[in-house]
Amino acid sequence: MITTEQDGGVTTIWLDRPDRRNALTPGMLTEIVSAAREASDRGDAVILAGRGNAFCAGFDLSLCQASPDGAAMRLLLSALSDACLALRTIDRPVVVAAHGAAIAGGCALLGGADTVVADRRAVLGYPVARLGVSPAVSVPFLRQSVTDGRARASTLLPDTFTGEDACRMGLVHVLVDSADDVYGEAVHQARLLAGKPTHAFAATKRWLNSIEGVERRGDAGSGLEASLALTGGEEERVRISALDIGRTSTSRKDRTHD
Amino acid sequence: MTDLATLSTDGPRATLTLNRPDQRNALSIEMLAAAHGCMDELESKSSPPTVLVLTGAGKSFCAGMDLSQVIIDDASQADIPRELLTSLAKLTHRLRLLPSVTLAEVNGAAIGGGCGLACVCDLAVTHADSVMGFPEVDLALCPAVVAPWLVRKIGAGAARRVLLCGGTITGAEAHSTGIVDKAVPTRDDLSGEVDALVRSLCAGGPLALRATKQLLNTIDGSVDADALLRGADLSASVLVSDDAQARLRSRRR
Repeated sequence: MITTEQDGGVTTIWLDRPDRRNALTPGMLTEIVSAAREASDRGDAVILAGRGNAFCAGFDLSLCQASPDGAAMRLLLSALSDACLALRTIDRPVVVAAHGAAIAGGCALLGGADTVVADRRAVLGYPVARLGVSPAVSVPFLRQSVTDGRARASTLLPDTFTGEDACRMGLVHVLVDSADDVYGEAVHQARLLAGKPTHAFAATKRWLNSIEGVERRGDAGSGLEASLALTGGEEERVRISALDIGRTSTSRKDRTHD
Repeated sequence: MTDLATLSTDGPRATLTLNRPDQRNALSIEMLAAAHGCMDELESKSSPPTVLVLTGAGKSFCAGMDLSQVIIDDASQADIPRELLTSLAKLTHRLRLLPSVTLAEVNGAAIGGGCGLACVCDLAVTHADSVMGFPEVDLALCPAVVAPWLVRKIGAGAARRVLLCGGTITGAEAHSTGIVDKAVPTRDDLSGEVDALVRSLCAGGPLALRATKQLLNTIDGSVDADALLRGADLSASVLVSDDAQARLRSRRR
């Protein structure tokens, strides 16, 4: 469900599960981490992109429905936090190509990027409180992208926003008109960053992580703990079990619930 | 004190001018020492000026580090980059902690450390066609001293993009990025705009302004000098690397 592709100093990590809008499993998130580290060790820039109509609709909630004690959700949250941290802390550039939709856990992955490309009408956001899930896990990374005020508003309001809104708030850096153009622009941005002197680029990225507090595991961990604290609780169990996941995954025009 | 940086006072307004116009006011160890001398004088005043305007003589604001000083040709020069960057780090910290409101009048090019000096000021104004930015990574350098000030000025996400992408931008673009607070249409409009801003600032109570600045410095961690000095060490260690030295030499030729 994760595939990689190498081309001229750029490795693209594809979320490759288009029939489920690239819904994330713990295994996919773990594979993202290892693929990103391998690419960076080779000296490649990394693009994280999704096959099909949308970048990523978030966690695969069918796993959570099958796991009412919250074990699957716990695995997903931990793996998501690890993935964001890994993307932030590899030495080579990371570009996320967020075309179509990046919802919940999918939107959280944007927090790992040095540059985010999206289309104007892309649907983004963290509407997971509707499911009784706290988006706290994303907050430590979101704070590194947007101001604290914007991070507060966009995680407490369980709704989505457009690529254009996201660009205005600083979560998206490069906006294109059509979802079809997102990947091409991401390649352009990745090449631009990959062309910078390697040593200086890595030193600068590490220093930014250091002054922003990203590299401290504790900062990412505090958000994760807050999300984990709700996991397995009644509110979450009732709301997730009420979801009709088959319907969400087949009607692509629908705003996604996961 | 040399005249590589000068201080003038006019009522509640003081002006610190980087004065090395033939070198586009590039940051040399000597010019930084002169600027520190101006800061000594400002800090020793019993009643500090309400506003300090920071600007550059001639066509440029500040072209950044004097690259001719940091090319290491023999071992005796090995510590110069660290000395220069530490001096710059300390100067930015002194400007930040100065009780006066600081206003950068970015009269022309403000590059690298020069752009950092604009960012550390409480307010910055330029004209639409000035050249600003942080091309350090393009030169295989690491802008570690200025990074904390840019992060505080425009936020961590935007700063990450600006510093990792390198290059330069126009004054108008610097305004839309938030690096400067205002960009007037032409260079001729700048001094009038600065005068108007100084008048507005001086309408505020000096004690209220001072207390507010101090509070802002505490909230955003500006009082912490250690991170800046670590940044100077990091920046110097990248600067003396073979990669950076080779690039600097090829530019000199």
